[in-house]
Amino acid sequence: MQLFRMGHDVYGQPVLEGVSWDLLAVAFGVAVVVILAHALFSLFRGKRGA
Amino acid sequence: MATVVDSSGIPAATPPASAGSRIIRHAGIDRVYHWLTAATVLTLMFTAFLPILGVKFDWVVIHWVAGCVLIALTLFHILRALFWQRVRAMLWLAPQEVTGHRVGKYTVAQKLMHWAMTFMVLGVTITGAFMLMKMDTPFWKRDPYTLSQATWGVIYVIHGLSALCAVTFVMIHVYFSLIPQSRPYLRAMIKGWITRQELLEHHHTDIDG
Repeated sequence: MQLFRMGHDVYGQPVLEGVSWDLLAVAFGVAVVVILAHALFSLFRGKRGA
Repeated sequence: MATVVDSSGIPAATPPASAGSRIIRHAGIDRVYHWLTAATVLTLMFTAFLPILGVKFDWVVIHWVAGCVLIALTLFHILRALFWQRVRAMLWLAPQEVTGHRVGKYTVAQKLMHWAMTFMVLGVTITGAFMLMKMDTPFWKRDPYTLSQATWGVIYVIHGLSALCAVTFVMIHVYFSLIPQSRPYLRAMIKGWITRQELLEHHHTDIDG
């Protein structure tokens, strides 16, 4: 997985073009993990409290 | 009939009231700001990421216009927070709050989310303001040569990272605003009020901010 998007200028030198859009899946995944973790924790705590 | 206490914090001398009485938590202007910002951020996210995911449409104009709206909303929010609200009520995090012993208007989780959103929004708006220099608009002509290519690279990276953070933060924010425990806060952001009983469940009313 790439972290950055790289390109080349008119002289062929590498230039930074931004973050890699591969990381979009990571950003989405982190949110899903946090949400699932909280939902499971709440479910578990609810069952213990019942 | 809502009991108007304060829009920016809970005063030390809250008048006696029944548990079901309503307390104004967010003033109308703050609720309008919140929902306008939400609509603008969602517009920016869709116009940024849908083309990357393969949905082709003319996104550039919508994106820079929405970006200008977000910059204006952010400036408004900073000015309102500095001169009309207690900044401390939202930004300051005391050790007693972390332990749950002294919770003011906002909980630790709400303050952490606000900090996360603050860094994200400042990241996209400051870099976005620079990137407007590359746009031809009815108001100015593009000038991409003021900054070096290396500097533009750094600006693009910060803009992109902040945008990726927006995906994570917005998803988490929406989830936590929809869970049953947050229902009073969601209602407060829509209608403005919270009941005294709901407030006392998680907050101490004798804290100024």
